[in-house]
Amino acid sequence: MPINRLIDIYEDLARREHLGTDTPSLCVVAAEFLDVSGAGIGILPSRGPMTVFCTSNHVAQDLMDLEVTLGEGPCVDACSSAGVVAEPDLRTPRGQRWISYVPQASAAGARAVFGVPVRIGAIRLGALSLFDHRAGPLTEAQSSDAYLMASVVGRAVLSVQAGAPPDSIADELLRQSTFDFTVHQAAGMVAVQGAVTVGEALARLRAHAFALNVTATALASRVIFRETVFDALSREWLETGTSTR
Amino acid sequence: MTRESLLISTLVELADNLVDNFDVIDVLTILSNRCVEAIDVDAAGVLLTSPEGDLQFVASSSESIRTLELFQIQSDEGPCVDCCRSGTAIVNHALEDSYAQWPRFTPMAVAHGFRSVHCLPLRLRGRTIGTLNLFRTEQGPLSAEDVVVAQGLADVATIAIIQHRSTLDAITLNDQLSHALNSRIIIEQAKGKVSQATNCSMDEAFDRLRAHARNHNVRLTEVAEAVVAGEIESDLLDRAVPSKRR
Repeated sequence: MPINRLIDIYEDLARREHLGTDTPSLCVVAAEFLDVSGAGIGILPSRGPMTVFCTSNHVAQDLMDLEVTLGEGPCVDACSSAGVVAEPDLRTPRGQRWISYVPQASAAGARAVFGVPVRIGAIRLGALSLFDHRAGPLTEAQSSDAYLMASVVGRAVLSVQAGAPPDSIADELLRQSTFDFTVHQAAGMVAVQGAVTVGEALARLRAHAFALNVTATALASRVIFRETVFDALSREWLETGTSTR
Repeated sequence: MTRESLLISTLVELADNLVDNFDVIDVLTILSNRCVEAIDVDAAGVLLTSPEGDLQFVASSSESIRTLELFQIQSDEGPCVDCCRSGTAIVNHALEDSYAQWPRFTPMAVAHGFRSVHCLPLRLRGRTIGTLNLFRTEQGPLSAEDVVVAQGLADVATIAIIQHRSTLDAITLNDQLSHALNSRIIIEQAKGKVSQATNCSMDEAFDRLRAHARNHNVRLTEVAEAVVAGEIESDLLDRAVPSKRR
């Protein structure tokens, strides 16, 4: 019965809290409970694009980065969908959606991908992203568990936020998350370097990271340490050969 | 409708308010029953504090416990009441030694067949929000193992309560989180611009933004938004000097 599964999730969370001061991220809990290869959580603020809250492993991180860079994928779609968004086999995808995402996600190591809306009633918080190395849809039990897990995730995030002073993100949320603000710092720098808007700078940053096959975070780090710079005149990315690390 | 689409639409309906659909009372009742199954006790109950600080009966594994819990609340006396007030566990308390401590509760509990009682506080952010109460018909203490399991179940109850309470503030909290996230992003972007434009560190950039906000009596986010939008040039930001006092 679903209510018993809900209590199972609570028991899992309680047991993990007891194991140590390092609370494992909610995505690790989700991935293990749902028996999938990895999970990520995306938060959708009222204005602006999806932000990655956490990911359970490198592949999950790559997949989320991909979605943020391309602006498409199961997590992005699930932020506004009614139910689970599924692509049970990236090698034989159904339909024409996610033209760029599908081959790249497959190359990153995923075979099946899913997005589950994270909502509390009508309030949309974001989505839970799942991937697996095996092809195939979620089983009935996994689907049911995924909805429960998404529900729990949403409430857990908000209940942690409840302890925060106004206008700030709760310390605990910051600790549990991999919110990456360095990408935004780097975008500010690139905006000045290239005399472009911050929005355009962000897009260029992500596109260049994608082309180099590195994470946006890694490129942001290079920008912040003045190793990579966007040249206004040539409109190209240059390596400076120096560093402030 | 195909069977698959019927199933999916059922799941979508369920998903709409999933945690809400499960009454916190149902959850805590099942937990109380799990206590009785998992450890060597004969009955379990949960009391919660209301926002005003009054104890409320919420769930129990049996009717006799319900009566005892309600009695404690009404007479403002008993191990659960003490546990809630002190925030510390009451473990392995033999009722035969309790007549002086709980003169009204003890005879009633004994009359119901119980010989020992254990109360564990449910704690959230340093406050006691309720108690998990366990009753035995046998004499003798709970094993150390059982105490650990019981504490684990108390933690599960706390999580369940937090989850179900979060519905009440969900709109506000979601707005707050959204707002805080957006603010933080804009501030970081502004830091980047100032750092590049004036060739300073991110920390120094942050200090300048804050100083400007303070001196002009506006919010930091507003200054950051203006910098990001190009309405304030980075080198025109105030330096980090203290504002003049009136």
